Amino acid sequence: MRLSKYSSTFSRIAGSSAAVALMGLLQGCLIDFGGPQSTLDPEGPIAKRQLDLFYVTCWVCLFIFIVVGAVLAYAMFKFKANTAEDEKKVGPEHAHGNPLVEIGLIGASVLALVIIAVPTLSGIYYSFDVPVENKADAYEVTATGYQWWFKFDYPSETAQTLDPTGKTVNAAFSVANELVIPAGRPVRVNLRTVDVIHSFWIPKLAGKVDMMPNRANHYWIEAEKPGYFWGQCAEFCGESHAVMRFRVIALGPKEFNDWVNAQMQPARKVAALADGAPAPKAHFADYRTFTRNEAGYTSAYDTDPLAAWRAMQVAPASGENPALINQGRKLFASKTCSSCHTIRGDGYIGVVGPELTHVGSRSTIAAGLLENNPDEIHRWIHAPNEVKPGNTMWMKGYVANEIKLTPEDEDALVNYLESLK
Amino acid sequence: MEALAKADFLDKGERKAKPFVLYRPTAKTGLISWLTTVDHKRIGFLYGITALFFFIFGGLEALAIRIQLMKPNNTFLTSAQYSEMFTMHGTTMIFLVVMPLGAAFFNFIMPLQIGARDVAFPRLNAFSFWTFLVGAIIVNLGWFMKDGAPDAGWFGYAPLTTRTFAPTHAIDMWVMGLQLLGVASIAAALNFIVTIINLRAPGMTMMRLPVFTWMTLFTSFLIVLSFPAITIALVEIMMDRLFGTNFFEVSNGGMPILWQHLFWIFGHPEVYILILPAMGIISEILPTFSRKPLFGYPIVVFSGASIGFLGFGVWSHHMFTTGMGTTATAAFALMTMAIAVPTGVKIFNWIGTLWNGYISMRTPMMFAIGFLWMFMIGGLSGIMHSAAPADAQQHGSYFVVAHFHYVLIGGSLFALFAGIHYWFPLMFGRKVSEFWGKASFWLVFIGFNVTFFPMHFLGLRGMPRRTFTYDGNMGWAEGNLIATIGALILAVGVATYFVTITYTYFKGEKTSMDPWDGRTLEWMLPNPPPEYNFQVIPTVHARDGWWYAKQHKEEIAKEDAEHKKEDEAHGGIHMPHMSIWPLMASVGIFIGALGVAVIDPANTHDYPGFWGPKVGVTILGGAIMFVSVLLWSLEGADGYHIHLNDDGSIKPDDGHGSH
Repeated sequence: MRLSKYSSTFSRIAGSSAAVALMGLLQGCLIDFGGPQSTLDPEGPIAKRQLDLFYVTCWVCLFIFIVVGAVLAYAMFKFKANTAEDEKKVGPEHAHGNPLVEIGLIGASVLALVIIAVPTLSGIYYSFDVPVENKADAYEVTATGYQWWFKFDYPSETAQTLDPTGKTVNAAFSVANELVIPAGRPVRVNLRTVDVIHSFWIPKLAGKVDMMPNRANHYWIEAEKPGYFWGQCAEFCGESHAVMRFRVIALGPKEFNDWVNAQMQPARKVAALADGAPAPKAHFADYRTFTRNEAGYTSAYDTDPLAAWRAMQVAPASGENPALINQGRKLFASKTCSSCHTIRGDGYIGVVGPELTHVGSRSTIAAGLLENNPDEIHRWIHAPNEVKPGNTMWMKGYVANEIKLTPEDEDALVNYLESLK
Repeated sequence: MEALAKADFLDKGERKAKPFVLYRPTAKTGLISWLTTVDHKRIGFLYGITALFFFIFGGLEALAIRIQLMKPNNTFLTSAQYSEMFTMHGTTMIFLVVMPLGAAFFNFIMPLQIGARDVAFPRLNAFSFWTFLVGAIIVNLGWFMKDGAPDAGWFGYAPLTTRTFAPTHAIDMWVMGLQLLGVASIAAALNFIVTIINLRAPGMTMMRLPVFTWMTLFTSFLIVLSFPAITIALVEIMMDRLFGTNFFEVSNGGMPILWQHLFWIFGHPEVYILILPAMGIISEILPTFSRKPLFGYPIVVFSGASIGFLGFGVWSHHMFTTGMGTTATAAFALMTMAIAVPTGVKIFNWIGTLWNGYISMRTPMMFAIGFLWMFMIGGLSGIMHSAAPADAQQHGSYFVVAHFHYVLIGGSLFALFAGIHYWFPLMFGRKVSEFWGKASFWLVFIGFNVTFFPMHFLGLRGMPRRTFTYDGNMGWAEGNLIATIGALILAVGVATYFVTITYTYFKGEKTSMDPWDGRTLEWMLPNPPPEYNFQVIPTVHARDGWWYAKQHKEEIAKEDAEHKKEDEAHGGIHMPHMSIWPLMASVGIFIGALGVAVIDPANTHDYPGFWGPKVGVTILGGAIMFVSVLLWSLEGADGYHIHLNDDGSIKPDDGHGSH
């Protein structure tokens, strides 16, 4: 008796603290549905359709939960044995079931599922490929997953580079980690991978589709208006899966054209100053140091990322150091960076790592992980393994080729990469 | 039949002289008695203890994960350690905790529920346990080696598991360990199927089987039919890794999608392998504590069968994002919705069972009703996943993590915890204190919900699973902090549970026979049950056999007296002999698996590089296994008879010894 008195008091305390905990949960996460990767705040027709379907399933399930839950709660309290005598009583022996109730409930369940099934089926066909009536207007890109970054090819565009004689010749148009698309147009994305399975996910534009080895997947996205979107690999792909991220920038027609025209140019050269090249200055000690996993963004950049991205497209009017940049350009070859990275026009044609011809115009580096500024570039090339454990540049570059960078080298390389607007 | 039974089991005269190795161990206590046991109750106990041990392991791994994610950009674990943690957490909880806990109950309870004296193949049963144990050891061996623990996720998607991307032995150990766990599970499942079909007490027709036994039968069929798929997949990846075949080696034209199909053809039925035993336990507890029969017994059984059947047709809903195309996606979406119907039916019938009853809220019932609520949430979020386009957003996100923890903790584990409390008096003759039992329930219940409910929102707000770090600007920090606090509460709850049952085992309040006023045959036994289980094999007249017997005492007593005479005419109660060879066969398998998975090849550059000490150890292990199985078959399936006094104690051996 004494024990049962305690335990009922205990249940009451536990019940009310459960209620308090639930309130905390509501305040903690129910109120804010936003965030850069929130699927509850879509900005494209596919993500909107998927969210609408989610709400259909959500309301149907919530309705079922409330009805069934209410019956269960009623049964729990109504038929509870409150006294020791109750616990000895015997329920109706012949309550073995009721066919009408059973069939009715099965019918109701099927009906609830039909409500979900209809929009599910139409959604499957809608999200699979660009609708026929929009096909003519569709833009095509190819996204390729690498451990741990994304390459974006533009099959309908042509870039330019310089051959060894200095003549301009055509080249493939390809960028890395920041996918720039025209807003208001459907974009068909071919999904490829060169190593393991990755999954291409831009929550605000569309649900994910995997990049499967030896399999030609595709899907389509559309950004309703110009914007800046976060994306991330959504299938575990090895040690640095969590930091395999990317961005999507949607631009109006004119701005998109301008971007294509700027990107097709060979790498930018910074002209030597008229009064002779100054000696490299030793400002390398100024670079910030970072701890492992430290966030790679600043709040200033975060408040309006599209504006921040636009600002990156403009070359600085002054302050660049041509001598240092030239030294960086040479180091890029001598430290074997060029065996993996392409920089069109500077004669670097490696294809293992991200294309860097206009890396200075991107808003992020290291696969969308770090904001593109001198400190973060320095952080990345100084200790890549601290940023992305197990990455290829570290394992097969720095370690395999025994590459050591002095602070001066790092400074020159940072200046060079920054200059590649 | 009768004549055959007599020919086999009656004393055939003098004992023939046997080679030493074929003599059967007879120890009743001590280490040898445990190593050579064939008693289904002891084997069930071993399964249970091992599972609870690994539960602590898997729980600590989960805590490490939650601490790492407590705040953005945390550095508690490195990304490599984090990958090991979530891989081993998943592998451990599924294969080394929930499955063996289910097996513990299958072993301990099912033969008692059908009125049998043991399972059909007692030595095979021992072999299943020992092979399970060596598989578990091999999966976990990496923690103690420089190669580290497996780190490719619990579903080990190729090509991350190929030599190209996972050159160390960690994945070899995962592959071999899982392979052995599969062998153990299939052997056990066959045993349970044969037992349930053949060893039912007189009158125990199929439609009188307790629902837990039905679910044991379905689960066993699921194991037998689904494990071959993963066996094939594991053989293929092992061939790729050891001999340079190209099933999954992408650069040579391998097809990683093949792994996913094979894995999930196993993997989805596996989900039901984890939940059907739980549903069986719930279907025992709810009637007992509502004091009325299960509502709609035939429909509950039939829906269990439909779940098992449909469970083989929904595997690709784990693959909605792999680009299967519209038709396949649509078909699997509809099948997945269809499976919700029998599942819903079960919930309705459980509620129907409570209706008009006298519900006594004892600790097992608390966990059982907790199961109903939590499984409802997990089931409904499962229905949400069946809407494939919406699932494209949820797949691989924390929404999925929330969903399957509601099903696996709120579902399977709550039911298994309920089962432990429910059958504890039967197993050990002691009862868990109501106060501490309920305290642990509330801590577990609150901790569980605080941990996993916010994960729905983390997923919807775009947080992918299996990420060791995230940035603070994503809006995931609060949800993760709440989840980590919840995990700590859950840990306190689980610790309370463990301390409570450990204390009860040694010092708990002793109970009388049948303390819950149970309905099924196991409750007619004294606690703990004697090695021979039933003094007299009971005759079953109704679905809830023991309930009926309690109300028809005279009729049953008369039958029992007749049966006892028959038993004596057959030479007494026939008991199986113990044997060392199941254990030795598993030891051989263990050594062989070490050879395949752990020993370095003589020359790592000489692909496949299998020769040298590696092949020597493998062959040695294989030889030990072969010899053990040979001796196992030579020692014969014989047993001995015991005779009982009226109080159930065993009469001293009267010379009718072993045969």
